Amino acid sequence: MMRASLHPRSWSLMVKLPLTIGLIIGCVAMVIGIAIVKEQQAQGTAALEERTLTVARAVAAAAPEAALRNDYWTLHKVLATMTRRTATAGSAGAPVTTAMILDPGVRTLASLEPRVNPIALPAVLAEGTHAMAAAALDKGTATVRWLADESVVEGAVPVTLNGTTLAAVVVRLSAADLSAALWEATRIILGLTVLLAIAGSVAAAMISRRMVRPLKALAGGMDVIGRGGSHLIPESAVRDRDEIGRLVDRFNRMSAELAEARRKEQELAVNEKLVAVGRIAAGVAHEVNNPLAGMLNCLDTLRSRPGDQVLVERYLPVIEQGLHRIQGIVQGLLSELRDGRGTGGCATALGDPADLRDLLAADLRGRALRLDWDVEAAVAPILRRPSVQQAVTNLVKNAVAAMPDGGRVGVRAHARGDEAVIEVEDEGHGIAQEDVGRIFDPFYTTRNDGTGLGLWITWRLIDDLGGAIAVDSEPGVGTIVRLCLPLNQLMGDMDERMRV
Amino acid sequence: MSIQLTRRALLASATGAAGALLVHGSARAAETVPPIRIGLTSVVVRENLDFFSDWAAYLAARLERPVTFIQRRSYSEIMDLLKSGDVHFAWICGYPYARRRDPEFLELLAVPLWQGAPLYQSYIIASVGAAGIQTLADLHSGVFAYSDPDSNSGYLVPRDMLTREGMSPESLFRVSFFTWDHGETVQAVADGVADAGAVDSYVWEYVEATQPSLAGRTRVLARSDRFGFPPLVARRGIGNDLTRRMRGALLGMADDTAGRLLLDRLALDGFSVQPDSLYDSIRELAARSGRPA
Repeated sequence: MMRASLHPRSWSLMVKLPLTIGLIIGCVAMVIGIAIVKEQQAQGTAALEERTLTVARAVAAAAPEAALRNDYWTLHKVLATMTRRTATAGSAGAPVTTAMILDPGVRTLASLEPRVNPIALPAVLAEGTHAMAAAALDKGTATVRWLADESVVEGAVPVTLNGTTLAAVVVRLSAADLSAALWEATRIILGLTVLLAIAGSVAAAMISRRMVRPLKALAGGMDVIGRGGSHLIPESAVRDRDEIGRLVDRFNRMSAELAEARRKEQELAVNEKLVAVGRIAAGVAHEVNNPLAGMLNCLDTLRSRPGDQVLVERYLPVIEQGLHRIQGIVQGLLSELRDGRGTGGCATALGDPADLRDLLAADLRGRALRLDWDVEAAVAPILRRPSVQQAVTNLVKNAVAAMPDGGRVGVRAHARGDEAVIEVEDEGHGIAQEDVGRIFDPFYTTRNDGTGLGLWITWRLIDDLGGAIAVDSEPGVGTIVRLCLPLNQLMGDMDERMRV
Repeated sequence: MSIQLTRRALLASATGAAGALLVHGSARAAETVPPIRIGLTSVVVRENLDFFSDWAAYLAARLERPVTFIQRRSYSEIMDLLKSGDVHFAWICGYPYARRRDPEFLELLAVPLWQGAPLYQSYIIASVGAAGIQTLADLHSGVFAYSDPDSNSGYLVPRDMLTREGMSPESLFRVSFFTWDHGETVQAVADGVADAGAVDSYVWEYVEATQPSLAGRTRVLARSDRFGFPPLVARRGIGNDLTRRMRGALLGMADDTAGRLLLDRLALDGFSVQPDSLYDSIRELAARSGRPA
């Protein structure tokens, strides 16, 4: 988990954006800075080389007369004056580390370090320096070179009079000032780089904050909508009219539309309920009205022929039958509406699935019907539940009603994955395709003696258990009604109930 | 070189008639009376140029005539100016004075008193850095700085000292050169350009008092006998009156405050009248050295 949150891909935009922009600005500033320092170094190097030659030439210009006369002291004074750091002309504060004037035999005529190179003795020189002095003396060429460690630049210039080379001036200038200037420039550039990177990061942080705040608000709003709520992102969270701003606008519009659709849906549901209630009321009225008409006829006839015992004998059972039927309708409806669990249809719950089988088999006896009972032991406990027993009873009754000429009724129960599947199969007339969608509506029936409540009650029982009903029917061949119940959940409930 | 620059600056600022040390004096002086011109050589310390303008002003007040000091690099140049009459007086070295002239055109004007006497020495000084040099013999194949080929203390005396020690000044040194100034001889030895040099004792002591860090980089290796101090001379034929008045002005410096202050700046006690025989020892030395006396 930690590792996942440390991975850059999981970083917030508010971190990533400032880091990236800071890094880019830093890199760009660094590259420009390096280019500037390099350029400065090149310029400084060239300037120092030029300065070296200028100092050497200034000495050479003042030296010929004294060199001609071997006037050591004058040469020394010329050298000392021209190369002095505080000199006002020519050398202009050049950082001369050492300088000397050499005669054609490469002996010292004058030196700023007389103890290292005493006058009138062969000069002790580095190999490269000697070569430069020799070039100045022999060919009259002025040359400049950098010493190996680049801290000193050395120049050699001939001293000439009327085209004759009398001596050579060798001057060394320290590059320490140049190095110090470059280091100073480098430090300034480094400082600027860091400052620019920080400034860029801060700017990026502010921008990303403006970007991320509406995005977070969007994510939160989507969560709310996902949970079925309604959410509008306030104007204050989005100040910019950019893509994100437009996205938030769309979200708000969508959220409003969704809320409107939900409200309409709820209205529709209420309407549907009202319609259903109306249908129930109409069904009840119709169901009750049918026997009432017959019974009122019987009562009229009996009143017009009082004392006709034959009629009484004949009509009283009819009236009783009608009242029973009304009673059945009202009881079924009451029991269903009262507790919603529909146990009323089957007053007593049977303990064992085998008892249910026997009861159903007893109902079938004496008719050309056969009951095939095939229940796996694993799902047998499910069939102990009263609501399941009633559902199966209702379905078997429908199956029997569908086969007036007899046939076979199959009841099978088995486990399929974590579901218990209970199938009730008949070989009856089947259900027309257009009617399949309505068979679970209350009071929907195709039989003269049906109440239209059986399948509706069955559907509600199964729905209460968290199950589902599927109907597979072919007119003229038969029907399979399949109940799918969550096996583990129901078994768990059972265990709990046992324990209690 | 720095002296040269200062001198130019001085001229540019036109500080007055007496301030001009170079050649032909100043325009203002030329307006009325021609100035008295005094030649200077390196026998006196040249560092303090203000001093000469103050001294010129002092003398001008005493003589009631403008006074100009004229500086030349070598003794011989000043001697030429004396001979041609371009300067009336000059402060020269003992040897140029002691030399015989035909016809004689110089007259001894006054001799400075230094440390109570009209005498000075030659010092042979060595660089403090040249630790191997302890005696004159150690100067062998070294670099030696003379001041001027016509100088007594800066040329004749040291050569005589070496000769008397049994060494040949011609072949002793690897190389020798002239600095044309006693002060610069001290500088050359201090900087190590020369291992050793010969210098006027008055100049060395003066440098030691005023620039101890410079003199401190040199040490005195040997001291010569005493000789007559470099004199002020007058050109003959400029008139006895002028010579007398100039001598009086010089001798009188020790008696008034302004004069004393000037003398203090020169580190001198005063000026005196001395017999020509004061310079006989230099004449003997020159004769001994094979130089014209």
